[in-house]
Amino acid sequence: MSHVTRSAELETLEVELLLEGVRRQYGFDLRNHSRPLLLRRLRRHLREERLDTFSALQGRVLHDPEAMEGLLRALACPPDTLFADPAFFQDFRARVVPMLRTYPSIRVWHAGCFSGEDTYALAILLMEEGLWGRCRLYASDASEGLLADARNGVLRLPGEEDARNYREAGGRRALTDYYTRDGDWAVLHPSLREGIFFTQHNLATDASFNEFQVVLCRDTLLSYNRSLASRAHERLYESLVRFGFLCLGRKESVARTPYAAAYEELEGTGRVYRRTA
Amino acid sequence: MSPLGLLVVGAPHDASAEVEALLASLPPSLPVPVVLVVHRGAHELLAGSLARRCPLPVLEPDDKEELVAGRVYLAPSGYHLLVDRGCLCLSREPSEHGQRPAVDPLLESAADAYGPAAAALLFSGHEDGWAGLAMLSSRGGRVAVIGEGEPVEGVERVPLKDVKGWLARLSYVPRMKVQP
Repeated sequence: MSHVTRSAELETLEVELLLEGVRRQYGFDLRNHSRPLLLRRLRRHLREERLDTFSALQGRVLHDPEAMEGLLRALACPPDTLFADPAFFQDFRARVVPMLRTYPSIRVWHAGCFSGEDTYALAILLMEEGLWGRCRLYASDASEGLLADARNGVLRLPGEEDARNYREAGGRRALTDYYTRDGDWAVLHPSLREGIFFTQHNLATDASFNEFQVVLCRDTLLSYNRSLASRAHERLYESLVRFGFLCLGRKESVARTPYAAAYEELEGTGRVYRRTA
Repeated sequence: MSPLGLLVVGAPHDASAEVEALLASLPPSLPVPVVLVVHRGAHELLAGSLARRCPLPVLEPDDKEELVAGRVYLAPSGYHLLVDRGCLCLSREPSEHGQRPAVDPLLESAADAYGPAAAALLFSGHEDGWAGLAMLSSRGGRVAVIGEGEPVEGVERVPLKDVKGWLARLSYVPRMKVQP
């Protein structure tokens, strides 16, 4: 057995032990996460923490809950900016909003909100469309640390590209109307922050907590492997009213889940589905 | 030598025409899946032009799609493309070397999931891909660089016209028995 094979096998063993430790100590089961992505995030985290081995990381994480939060934060890949995928918000405005107008009240769940970029973008959109008054927007994430960031409503200061994305997404005002500048940061307007209910929820383990007319879960399930993603889809399905809307990421699909037959894709949209059964 | 289970190809944006030529030279009965990253912008359509002369279907996969032998999977814009055993995964990690999709993430995942059962071709001309190539090579994968440049220790250079022969020398596994 060559040296390289041995070190690769040792790394695999160390990762297994780290994941087992994290599960038993904190209840976060990362074993069913997308393995290639998890390995890359873990390796990056190791470099950033200036540690040599996963065994060292394990020691730190098991003894320090803050290090565990740091790990969860390092695993997440939040959107780069507000309206990072303008085509989605454009489709949502054109295809979903007209139907939402016919509802007297609307519950929306953003499952896996990371640090809130897409949540605030959605809130801005709902405000501009005059739906904010009858909307209750819930945003959840498994990581308390990310959730705290999201609650703060402080984002990196949007630049020219963000303003362009906002316009492409069908924005009707100026993005600057929604925040106050603080150096390199943008403090979002309190009316946006106060209208969003942020709550800790782990799609991998926690049950559905309400019924919603709209569920957003975009690029969140990329971090799960196929079996865990299927289980998470069960939560999403249970949480949607009949004829409710499920919005996935641009390259995600219900096709390989047990619920493929229960949804219809809204034609011409980037992966907006309607629950029909 | 392990039987081949996967061919990965990485290329900078400038090499799109060469990638098209490479795909055109693939045997129609290739018994392994091909996973391809070409640096690309957000709104660039690429699959159509790459598929034009390729005897195999070229598609931009969704997340968690199964890998099927004889198909070419092109990384969609805005995502890194990774391989797991038998399936593809997409990732929204930040850009690497200013690129998303980037080549290094794909090569790293191929090294982890396939090791000696993976072969990789990298079109030179960009800094992205070299780290992944070294990692795959250290795990026993067979790697080569296409294009001009300084020779790099331990990495074979293959002119584009000889790639067909290079591929033919890799030992294929029979169809239906894709490794691992």
